[in-house]
Amino acid sequence: MKHASMLRRRLLASLLVCLLLALGFAGLRAWLQNPRRGLPYHDSFARGNADEWKALGGTWELVDGMMRNESDERGAKLLTGSLYWRNYSIEADVYLLGISGDAGLVIRSGDEEEGVNSYTGYYAGVRTLDNSLVLGRAEHGWTEAVKKVSDPAGIRPFRWYHLKLLAYGCQIVTAVTPASQAQATTLGITDSDCIQSGRVGLRSYSSGGIWRNVEVRPATHQDLLAMLNSSASRGEPVSSDVLSQDFASIESRLQQQAEARSSTDTQSIASLRLASFTKPTTATVRGVVVLTAPVLFVQDSTGGVYIPQPRAPLLKVGDEVEVTGEVHPGDFSSTLEHATVQVLWERTPMPPLSVTASQASTGKYDATFIEVHGRLAGKEHGPGNTLILDLDEGPQSFRAILNPGRSDYLFGKLKLNSTLRLRGICVVDPAFTHNLTPFVLLLRSNEDLDVIAGPPWWSAGHVIAIVITGLLLALAGVVLYHRVENWRLRAILDERGRLAHEMHDTLAQSFAGIGFQLQAIRNGVPQEQTALHQQLELASELVRHSHQEARRSIATLRREHLETEDVLAALGLCARSMVEGSPVQVVTERRGDQRPLPLRLADTLYRIGQEAIANAVRHADPTLLTVRLIYHANSICLEIEDNGKGFVRSSGLLGFGIRGMRRRAQSIVATMQLRSKPGAGTLVSVNAPLPPRATLASVLRRFWEYFLEHWINVRPARHADSHSYRG
Amino acid sequence: MNQLGQRGPQCAPRGSRILKACLSIALALCAASCGSRARVTIAVIPQTEGNMIWEAAHVGAESAADHTGASIYWNAPTREDDSEAQIALVDRVANGNYQGLVLAPDQALSLISPVRRVLARGIPTVIISSPLPIPAGGNLSYILNDDRRGGQLAAQRVEELLHGRGTIAVLGIDPDVTGTMIRDRALEEFLSQNAPQIHVAARRMGSFNVPHEQEAAEDILRAHPDLDAVVALMSSSVDGTLSALATSPALRRIKVIGFDVAGLPSFERNPQLDCVIQSDTRAMGQKAIELILARRHGQSAPVLVRIPPQVITAANINSPQIRDMLAQDWTLGHTHWSSIE
Repeated sequence: MKHASMLRRRLLASLLVCLLLALGFAGLRAWLQNPRRGLPYHDSFARGNADEWKALGGTWELVDGMMRNESDERGAKLLTGSLYWRNYSIEADVYLLGISGDAGLVIRSGDEEEGVNSYTGYYAGVRTLDNSLVLGRAEHGWTEAVKKVSDPAGIRPFRWYHLKLLAYGCQIVTAVTPASQAQATTLGITDSDCIQSGRVGLRSYSSGGIWRNVEVRPATHQDLLAMLNSSASRGEPVSSDVLSQDFASIESRLQQQAEARSSTDTQSIASLRLASFTKPTTATVRGVVVLTAPVLFVQDSTGGVYIPQPRAPLLKVGDEVEVTGEVHPGDFSSTLEHATVQVLWERTPMPPLSVTASQASTGKYDATFIEVHGRLAGKEHGPGNTLILDLDEGPQSFRAILNPGRSDYLFGKLKLNSTLRLRGICVVDPAFTHNLTPFVLLLRSNEDLDVIAGPPWWSAGHVIAIVITGLLLALAGVVLYHRVENWRLRAILDERGRLAHEMHDTLAQSFAGIGFQLQAIRNGVPQEQTALHQQLELASELVRHSHQEARRSIATLRREHLETEDVLAALGLCARSMVEGSPVQVVTERRGDQRPLPLRLADTLYRIGQEAIANAVRHADPTLLTVRLIYHANSICLEIEDNGKGFVRSSGLLGFGIRGMRRRAQSIVATMQLRSKPGAGTLVSVNAPLPPRATLASVLRRFWEYFLEHWINVRPARHADSHSYRG
Repeated sequence: MNQLGQRGPQCAPRGSRILKACLSIALALCAASCGSRARVTIAVIPQTEGNMIWEAAHVGAESAADHTGASIYWNAPTREDDSEAQIALVDRVANGNYQGLVLAPDQALSLISPVRRVLARGIPTVIISSPLPIPAGGNLSYILNDDRRGGQLAAQRVEELLHGRGTIAVLGIDPDVTGTMIRDRALEEFLSQNAPQIHVAARRMGSFNVPHEQEAAEDILRAHPDLDAVVALMSSSVDGTLSALATSPALRRIKVIGFDVAGLPSFERNPQLDCVIQSDTRAMGQKAIELILARRHGQSAPVLVRIPPQVITAANINSPQIRDMLAQDWTLGHTHWSSIE
């Protein structure tokens, strides 16, 4: 009964925990999917932080507190925000770095991949090609609406535009305000089967771009109407603070590109290494820009060249340029000093040459854009907050240097011993290598680094964790096994209890009824019928005896007292109930430090004690019955002693009861002794091992015994206490 | 107790046997380590074993080791451009029981990491012939061929041959071998300062592949038939140029100034070979071993030594100095032969 209520309580507790977990999960899910979570948002570019942005293509870097993509890649994207944002607007200042592309903002974006239109969402941008504001829907394909801007100057590169894109329901509206103008051009569409939610992004197409002041706010219907109705003005025109260093180069670049024609006397970059050391030589080479910061590198099919402090317009990775300068040949590559750079046209960035670190360390790929694999051996911050990665591949070690900006995000993310794939400019100049490694890689952006595989799992920490987990699992297994054993034992005891109740309700009650009926018959029979009285008396005696036996059996099967009392008290109770009504005195005695006994041990001792008490009461006719429980350090001894008539030990006297007691004793690795003499009573003693107490001394003693036995081959004296009954 | 008592007497001799065994092992280990300390092994890894020029270095190293009882581990790639094999050998030294390393690097950059690993293990290292871009100091020393002097010697010879006026070509510039770059720059600097009328009409990158070098020489000779001399900065370039000239009788007036020819230069067979500027690899090998041993004995040793190359001409090839430099005397060594009776 008590057990059942405990089970019920446990079940209720489990249900409550499950309910709390479900509620917690639902709450977390609701919080994560909240369409207003994280809104409003304002970028932290000015503080040099863009950790929350994820790039797909392009060369996204923070420069002067602005996000810059210098790549002419078609459809380079930088994304952030929640997939569950629904009705909101994004606005930013956008600056085009190319003359034949567009740059803008993405809204409700999802399912993004690297590729031109490889996402699901809406894009609005300013396009130089047709001087227009473009608004379209991408779904791994592209559909668009276009509107010419009202600015008479049209859309031009190297100029700031304020762009805003709003999505409310299935209405998407965008507006652009050119620099130093209050006049906005607005374009809106209603998409009947619209994309409902998604994150925001910055995107460029065939042109680099710069973004700043990126803001995302929740939008209402009033915001939508206000945007549609206020096309004539926008409160804050964009200041015309065109990047000063770019301004001078804009016109020259446009002019150069318009008049692009290459010289006829260009030479290969590799041939520069054969120029004279002593006589100043001027040379012209043609190639593609592979790196612009911290230094300019140009590459052709024969190699790369370093161009320090060039006279050049604003350059982007991928620009095809012609460079004329003074040749300074080096061992592995050359330098063009005092160089003038002319932009011929824009191209997609050059793909890297895939080489091994051993190949790169020969110097053959100096100043060349390469891709190389390596294992991350260390990471640190270098001068100017650059990120320096130490890498190994085979017998070679090398370094990779990444400009500050988004590299902070990488610094925390990269784990030592990871296998990385890096793309960058291979440089063997001691100014970069400090002669520590054969070469360094100058990475252009975070996107030049991919983690191919994390650190191997067999690190020292992991091995220790696995060993500890294994030990904990083994411990849990042992605990579980013992718990299951206890449950099984309890089930057996419950069944015995049930049988006892059944016997009490049927057999014992029947004996009582029969006895009562016999008594009634005796009372009705005349006293003269002596023979009949005697027969009835005998029958009554037999019924009484059978009733007592039945009660004894019921008492043996019951276990309630073991749940509330310890073994000694339970046996005392049992003995007193057996001798109830007789002059036999029952004494209980406890010696040693009492401590809890395993259930199986307690039950077995109780059963043996019951049998011994029953034997004494049944056969010995004692006047004193002593039940004694002695606790030793590593064992426990139960003694049942009576002062009855005793008996002479012989094999014939070993009845079923004694054999059963011996079997029970063997099941707990106990020894049982029976001492008796005619007229001197009987002593039954059972000595059972106890589980050891886990103390420092006991652990040390066991270790010493193990050492003696296995190393020195000396078998220490020890008790035969295998405690096998525990398992 | 009884059980322990019975075991007791048997345990005492067993414990004593264990103690004796432990002592014996400790003594054996001590003896082994003492023995190994007495026998110093120095690894010498030249650029290649496929070129006779390094045999002189081997002789020099053995000669220096023979006086001190040190032993030399000698091995190298079969080709000069097999830097991977040389890196593997250097790594073997880093992981092995060697007390010193002498290395003539095949490639200036790719050996930085392996040599740094050797230095990290505290092994004294001497780089010979051509430098690495690691500063000397600590356990690292350089015994280099004076390539600048070699370039100047070549330029002086060109000036003498052409009497201050003419056209030359330079072949065999190999950035992998820093020494060739130094020679080239020294040559050009000397000529621009002392013989401005001599101009370099063509310069070509070099390799250790002789057919490739011959092809490069033939290209230059076709493009510049008016050349007066060719300076070949590598052994393979010398062989390639001489082969190209041998197939063009009309160009037999062109003189060749070569560097680092394998074995004794044959002026009779190659009359166009004017001179060879030869690195003294024997001296390098010998001094490198002496330097390592001096450092082991706590003596001061220079961290940078430059050994001037020698100009070998038909006139001085039989001089004792040149013969000694190129000699390959293998009578040295630890093995002493006796006849079997």
